[in-house]
Amino acid sequence: MNLTSTTGGGPISGLPRPRRRRTDKAHRGITAAIFLSPTVLIIGLFTVVPMIMTIVISFHRWSMFTPITEMDFVGLDNYARLLSDSARVQAIANTGVYVLLSVVITVPLAFLIAMLLYFPRLRGRNIVRVILFATYVIPTIAIVIIWSNIYAPGYGPLSAMIQAIGITPPGWLSDPSWALVSLVIFNVWQMLGYYVILLVAGLTQIPEELYEAAKVDGAGIVRQTRSITIPMLSGSLVFVVLMTIINSIQVFDPIYLLTQGGPAGSTNVVSFEIQRSAFQYGQAGDASALAVSLFMLIVLVGVVLNAISKARKR
Amino acid sequence: MSRRRTHPRTLAQRALLYLLLAVVAVVPLFPLYWLVISAFKTPAEFVTIPPTWFPASPTFDQVNAALTQVPFAQSMMNSVIIAGGATISVLITSILAGYVFAKYQFRGKNLMFWGIVATMFLPPIVTLVPLYYLVNSMGLSDSYIGVLLPWLANAFGIFLMRQFIMDVPDELIEAARLDGASEFRIVWQFVVPLIKPAVVTLAVFMFVFSWNNFLWPLTILRTEAMYPVVLTLNRLMSYTMSFDYQNVVIAGALIASLPTLIVFLISQRVFVQGIASSGVKG
Repeated sequence: MNLTSTTGGGPISGLPRPRRRRTDKAHRGITAAIFLSPTVLIIGLFTVVPMIMTIVISFHRWSMFTPITEMDFVGLDNYARLLSDSARVQAIANTGVYVLLSVVITVPLAFLIAMLLYFPRLRGRNIVRVILFATYVIPTIAIVIIWSNIYAPGYGPLSAMIQAIGITPPGWLSDPSWALVSLVIFNVWQMLGYYVILLVAGLTQIPEELYEAAKVDGAGIVRQTRSITIPMLSGSLVFVVLMTIINSIQVFDPIYLLTQGGPAGSTNVVSFEIQRSAFQYGQAGDASALAVSLFMLIVLVGVVLNAISKARKR
Repeated sequence: MSRRRTHPRTLAQRALLYLLLAVVAVVPLFPLYWLVISAFKTPAEFVTIPPTWFPASPTFDQVNAALTQVPFAQSMMNSVIIAGGATISVLITSILAGYVFAKYQFRGKNLMFWGIVATMFLPPIVTLVPLYYLVNSMGLSDSYIGVLLPWLANAFGIFLMRQFIMDVPDELIEAARLDGASEFRIVWQFVVPLIKPAVVTLAVFMFVFSWNNFLWPLTILRTEAMYPVVLTLNRLMSYTMSFDYQNVVIAGALIASLPTLIVFLISQRVFVQGIASSGVKG
């Protein structure tokens, strides 16, 4: 490609450049193909092909420990079994609770913090932004290790703090009714900074004049927030909701590392169930049916949120 | 930016806002603080009830143990190779593809672009089974290439690069073409310098993402000599049930976090801006 480039020269040299003009278009077509081919090849081979394979496998019975040629077509059996297997039903329900709790806690909290960080003349807000975002770049396993220590009964600081104010702390990760909540807290802590950054960016896009006009009309801060900030920020808010759902719907690392779905199946989620079905029990068909369902759920969420944000714009 | 909007007037208001700001800073910081102090406690102090809030006699023993008793250095090196390889590859593929999607016209371009972007929302767990099957049957499990292959190109990167390259003036590219510069040279010499903040953002994002990626290496790697540091930590965690060893694991977590934290802190101004605009521009 570099053969066609000239060294030095430039428009100021005033030399006529008659060569190559006619072939430019075709030449550029080839360049475009060359530039795109690595991407198309990689995403095609390692994303699109596996996606199609997942759908195909979901209609078959196939143990991953046997060759793929021994796959048996079973139609919708795997999907039917999803709903009769209590572990899988529980995994789906747990995922729903986990997603719902994550959204309900994360989005309002991120919004309030973003509002706070957006307050003018507040010193130190940039440092707070950096601290918040730092949690997002640390490996999940490191966060898992530290939080399992924070949650530890007895020598863990969280229980000690709660005990100090006279309340008996729950068993956190070892208590079936608290384990999923403990994992949500962990997820909120890890991801909050990311969403705050997105919302602060959205806030800076709101024209200052709107607030000026509202102030002239005597609107207080609550009124301004309700009538200007939230409607103007709805695009960013919908995006944050979408990202929170997509992030929490596929939670895997902390489950695998901390609880393995326990205690008593209380933290078993869909992605963990997929991995366990496939790689521990070898049931690739069941795992794929679950994977396809998960993907359809994400598509559905995307479509619904898109419709909501379009309806709001009108 | 006009700074007149609803700024706190009274001293009480300001005090309250600063108090809130302090809470917002301290709560997220606390687990990180706990990570650091726990790594420097002695095993005995680590399990005392009630917990101590500062190491009584700080020691480097746990950090040393993490570094010497397991192949920690080897796995840090593996992580550097894996994260570095993915970062460089994604930068190249994303800049080239982003340039084509931003500045070229051809039939089916939009369909292709949005098709690629849609894969951004596809959780890796969905395609894990066939991906494992594919890479394994290529005979590439247990190799750097096998760990890297699925992550050599990335929809988020292409999206980000295209958004920023669209803002590069067409006239500039035309002028360079009239000058006889090759398309490759135009990208390298004119486009990349103009979108440097986006390139830095993508580099940091990919490095952090690949350094922290757990599920795929867990699936495809067999031998411990190939493990990135997150897998070594996992092995440490599951095989060391004794209390004596627990804060060695914590020291390991601290060491494993340092590269991403350092990369983030060096680039945070540009990186945070870049991530922020990825949401707004979307």
